Amino acid sequence: MTTETLIWLVPLPPLLVFFLILLFTRRNNALSHTLGVGAAFLSWLIGMLVFLAAIGVEHLGEHPFTSSVGWLPTGAEVFPVGVLIDPLSAVTLFFVAWTVLMIFIYSIGYHNFGQPKGEHDVPGLPPHGATQHGHAVPSVEPMYARFFAFIALFAFGMYTLVISDNLLTLFVGWEIMGLCSYLLIGFWYAKPSARDAAIKAFITTRVGDVFMLLGIVALYAATGTLNFRQILYNPALLEQLASTPSVIAGLSVAGLIGLLLFIGTVGKSAQWPLHVWLPDAMEGPTPVSAMIHAATMVSAGVYMVLRMFPLLSAGWHHGGELTSTMTMMAFIGAFTALFAATIALTQKDIKRVLAYSTISQLGYMIAALGIGAYVAAAFHLVTHAFFKALLFLGSGSVIHGMEHGVLHTGEHVDAQDMFNMGGLKNKMPITFWTFVIGGFALSGFPLITAGFWSKDEILADAFGNGHLLVFLTLAVAALLTAFYTMRQITLTFLGEPRTKAAAHASESVPSMTAPLVVLAVFAIAAGWVGIPEHFPGLGGLLPSWFHEFVGGTLVEHPEAVAFNIIPLLVSLGVALGGLALGWLVYRKAGQLDPLRKPLGAIYALLENKYYFDEIYDAVFVRPAQRLAEGFSYLFIDRQVIDGFLHRVARGAFSLGSIFRNYFDAPVVNGFGDFTASVTQSFGRMLRKVQTGQVQQYLLFVALLAFGGLFYYLLNALQ
Amino acid sequence: MIPLSWYLYLAAGLFGLGLYGVLARKNAIAILMGVELMLNAVNINIVAFWRYLTPQNMSGQAFAVMVFAVAAAEVAVGLALVISIYRRRKTVDADEINLMKW
Amino acid sequence: MGFITDNLLSLILFSPLVGGLLVLLLPGENKNLVRRAALAVSLVPFILTLVAWFGFSAAPEVAGFRFQQEVAWYPAINSSFHLGVDGLSLSMVLLTTLLAPLAILASFSVEEKIKPYMALFLALETGMLGVFLSLDLLLFFVFWELGLVPMYFLIDQWGSKTGERELWGGMKVSARRYASFKFMVYTMAGSLGLLLAIQMLGVVSGTFDMLALFQSWPGLSGSLFGLPIETVKAIAFWAFTIAFAIKVPVWPFHTWLPDAHTEAPTAGSMILAGVLLKLGAYGFLRLVLPLYPAEATQYAPILAILATAAIIFGALSAFGQRDFKRLVAYSSVNHMGFVVLGIAAAAYAAGTESATIALDGAVLQMFNHGISASAMFFLVGVIYERTHTRDLEAWGGLFPLLPVFGGLLIFASMSSLGLPGLNGFVSEFLVVRGAWPIFTWLTALSMVGLFFTGAYILKGIAKTLHGPLNEKWQGHLTDISRREVLVLAPLVVLMLWLGLWPAWLLAVINQAMIGLFG
Repeated sequence: MTTETLIWLVPLPPLLVFFLILLFTRRNNALSHTLGVGAAFLSWLIGMLVFLAAIGVEHLGEHPFTSSVGWLPTGAEVFPVGVLIDPLSAVTLFFVAWTVLMIFIYSIGYHNFGQPKGEHDVPGLPPHGATQHGHAVPSVEPMYARFFAFIALFAFGMYTLVISDNLLTLFVGWEIMGLCSYLLIGFWYAKPSARDAAIKAFITTRVGDVFMLLGIVALYAATGTLNFRQILYNPALLEQLASTPSVIAGLSVAGLIGLLLFIGTVGKSAQWPLHVWLPDAMEGPTPVSAMIHAATMVSAGVYMVLRMFPLLSAGWHHGGELTSTMTMMAFIGAFTALFAATIALTQKDIKRVLAYSTISQLGYMIAALGIGAYVAAAFHLVTHAFFKALLFLGSGSVIHGMEHGVLHTGEHVDAQDMFNMGGLKNKMPITFWTFVIGGFALSGFPLITAGFWSKDEILADAFGNGHLLVFLTLAVAALLTAFYTMRQITLTFLGEPRTKAAAHASESVPSMTAPLVVLAVFAIAAGWVGIPEHFPGLGGLLPSWFHEFVGGTLVEHPEAVAFNIIPLLVSLGVALGGLALGWLVYRKAGQLDPLRKPLGAIYALLENKYYFDEIYDAVFVRPAQRLAEGFSYLFIDRQVIDGFLHRVARGAFSLGSIFRNYFDAPVVNGFGDFTASVTQSFGRMLRKVQTGQVQQYLLFVALLAFGGLFYYLLNALQ
Repeated sequence: MIPLSWYLYLAAGLFGLGLYGVLARKNAIAILMGVELMLNAVNINIVAFWRYLTPQNMSGQAFAVMVFAVAAAEVAVGLALVISIYRRRKTVDADEINLMKW
Repeated sequence: MGFITDNLLSLILFSPLVGGLLVLLLPGENKNLVRRAALAVSLVPFILTLVAWFGFSAAPEVAGFRFQQEVAWYPAINSSFHLGVDGLSLSMVLLTTLLAPLAILASFSVEEKIKPYMALFLALETGMLGVFLSLDLLLFFVFWELGLVPMYFLIDQWGSKTGERELWGGMKVSARRYASFKFMVYTMAGSLGLLLAIQMLGVVSGTFDMLALFQSWPGLSGSLFGLPIETVKAIAFWAFTIAFAIKVPVWPFHTWLPDAHTEAPTAGSMILAGVLLKLGAYGFLRLVLPLYPAEATQYAPILAILATAAIIFGALSAFGQRDFKRLVAYSSVNHMGFVVLGIAAAAYAAGTESATIALDGAVLQMFNHGISASAMFFLVGVIYERTHTRDLEAWGGLFPLLPVFGGLLIFASMSSLGLPGLNGFVSEFLVVRGAWPIFTWLTALSMVGLFFTGAYILKGIAKTLHGPLNEKWQGHLTDISRREVLVLAPLVVLMLWLGLWPAWLLAVINQAMIGLFG
């Protein structure tokens, strides 16, 4: 079996399992999760085989694995779709396969497989716990099998996106993931907040998606193809696209397409201003959050712009002026990174902090790409997937532990509020240590965490290429990141338990903690494949494999930025400084956030996410509803158009009435009636002849007879 | 010989009397009697013409006998009808038997 | 066997009508017999169409009309009974003969006056098939009108029992009477022009036969009642356009659609949305574009603007609805807008590759919309039969009570929404791709409509299935039955099949479009 055939097989197991579970095994939890995990494992296995084959190829970027088949007959040709594994998709496949598998395994324990069914549990709501031997214990999720079906479809979507060789099937995977995020965020659909969050996610990303569709269509129309190799590895074509003006003044065709595609990423990767759906998406079960916000969906947005980088940067040369799309990306990415980090400072919910952190980190990647740091962005994408998935799964473990405590003590506290936690490090050691590793990786703790290497590289690139504003913004965001991460760790795990539930928390089951450990290994080690060559001391010890490999994706291998001590020092400073500050401020925190009073009104602004949700509601949502019902339907259709039709009908009606009342009735009808009445009056007159008296009749007879006789005789005599 | 015209005058006179009876009498039986008179007048006419014009043929006599028979039958039926009407309406006044009017 | 293959199209055309008459002869008290007989009858044209399809798609690139049959009808005016199919009409025939049995199966829940219902339905099927199959203008018109009458009665007699519309002066009529009347009169108003145009064409060119007309049309000369040929052609163009525009419907001639679709019985809506709307689009493709390329190019921008208006306003109005069925009805306006956009784009830039792609998308969208709209209307019908209301606000959280129904509703909704992987996306993508180089700004605007499509679809799902369970329905609802799943199964399979591998249909359509508009 060739590698190309294997590539085609990667997304299939989860797709099959999706149908199998929904059609056949939905009532059997064990069978369903076996199928689910089995499918994830199979895809992982095939993915690893493909990856191993890929890294063995010299200069994979120049001859990647490809295979395609004709799909849509259009015009004279057939539009082909196929698979492509080049360095970028190979590393993406790697992290997707691992994180997806870990999430599948984790879901078994998360949804309490093996636990009894809760007495009051209904499908559509999260399980409330069951009573076993007089104790309150966690209960199994009522819609257990359905969950595995949906995450299987989700995995299918992501795999399809990663292995695609063209934008169309990438978009197919993109949208299928959008559907799955809708289905999974709204997994507990009976909760109004979950239902609304699901719709919000779908609709917000759809804004991005419709622009992206236009971009895809524009690209197809301009070049006649959507195949990556044919477009992105054709410098002449890119040159032409970059120099042809488009319908929008000031933008070249490449710029317009790039912009449209980028808006898709803004939606999918929750960048400002389309970021509002991601925090609400925390309504979904935690494995979903891990899947959507780390492993797959938001990464897809970044993956797409990484993939389309040659187009977005068409016309840009290293060290030169950024194209318009790149400028926009740098701006939005950096802004979002800082913006989201500020909000994360004030969030109480353990998952929400991570949500905003994701938005912020994605901003990093986008900003990196915006300034042309291709490899750095890809690197951060990979490391972020690992440590963010780790953090989300870890938070899920924490929540589970807290819920256990809640059930045990009967105390009704929000199990997700960090200010109800504390001291969990002793109760949940594995979770604690893995979470710390993940959190340090996120903060960029030097040398031993993957996040350091990738983040440092971005900062170095920004500084080294002179994009100082971006550098500064990202550095401040890094400081805040370390701060709120330590805040999170301190509030959750350190100090004393703030509630009875926290005091009675317990470690999660192995199916949940094992994935944490695996991911923690990656969170530490993944960075070591990308140590820059010029790094003092360590550079050169391990080959900078990542740069070599992923850099080979582009036609021109990007140059590594020259080493500069300043960004390194800044990076170290913000990471360590932020962590230390976070610990100092929060180590004695009680139920109230110590920052609340000092920051005052600013704290309220940040806590309410700069009121963007409220603004969007007032500016977009409500007017749209009014526009839809009031204007389009009631006014235009009912009043204007139907009103016109009714007026025409009424006119016809009146015309008919006039004809009836003024012509038909008097003239035509009248004439008929007149004739009849004349005949009738004659008849009335004439009938008087019939008296019924025989003698009278005889008299008439006699008169007529004799009269006739005499008349005849007289005539004959003449 | 008595001239033919005398018989004809007689028949005409009888016919006129009969016609008057039919048209002017109230009693239905009297009307029937008038009809009888008219029939007899006709008979006299037939016989007179026969005797004076074609005495050798039998047709005149035969016809007169037929008229007798018809008259008898007709009177029988007529009287039966009158009796029936009388039983129903307790009257034989012709003016009162006028149901078939407008 | 030879008889069947020689007269394939006539058999397809008349078997429903004949079957309908036979159904009328059955004893009316035996409801199940009548229903099953009608279903069996409706399967006959479907099987025959499959025979035709396999024969046709074996060699889709062969140009021209196949399976032709011609019998003299009115030799004096040169009108014959002429049937034939090409890729375009065969796709539509396939759609019709597929949806009819499903609609009849869906009608098994009708309890009153079943015999006339089934007979009318089958007569309707013949009417629709006749439009697609005929190659003679007069015959086209006969069948066009023939399709109206059964639909009128179906809506008026078996339509929704409640509801009223107020007219003027406080006068109120029952909603179904209003809807059926509006539908009939509005469409007939358009048909008047159609008849006029056909007659003018027939007189001026001396024949009513479409094939002959296509040949002789460009070179026609002469005059009619003193009008020069150009004026005659122009009048005929506008008459055709208005008639078809009302049927599609093109905004702003669309207001009959929400009323008719909402008040019609479930199966009536399925067929109305599934097939009847396509008659108008078919008319554009078969008659207007080939006969009037110049005028079509000239007026295409207007058509494109109206199409975009339909896409946007259809989606907006759907989003603003409380009545689920009316929401789905407006989604039809929205989807048909894409068809018209594709046609307009192709008319404007005839002969280019984008035009062919746009046409491919338009025709495929016709087929896809038939499938997804049918499914959606049926699903609304299922829940209406159980809850006796279509008010979205009356439901809430029904997913646990109706899990299978819910799953199918989400699936069909995703197809309607144009989710990639399902059929709706392929056609919408092709239309957008085709229209973008030709009408860039309008295509961009139509994305607003596409956005709101997501909004209204999700609104429908959210209010029906999601949210806290509305206690009122607890214990009163049964999940979807096997018969109902059987109605949906072919549609669902097609949605997935056409989404993942549309080549079998698209190849036929593509070749037909290349052949017609090259």
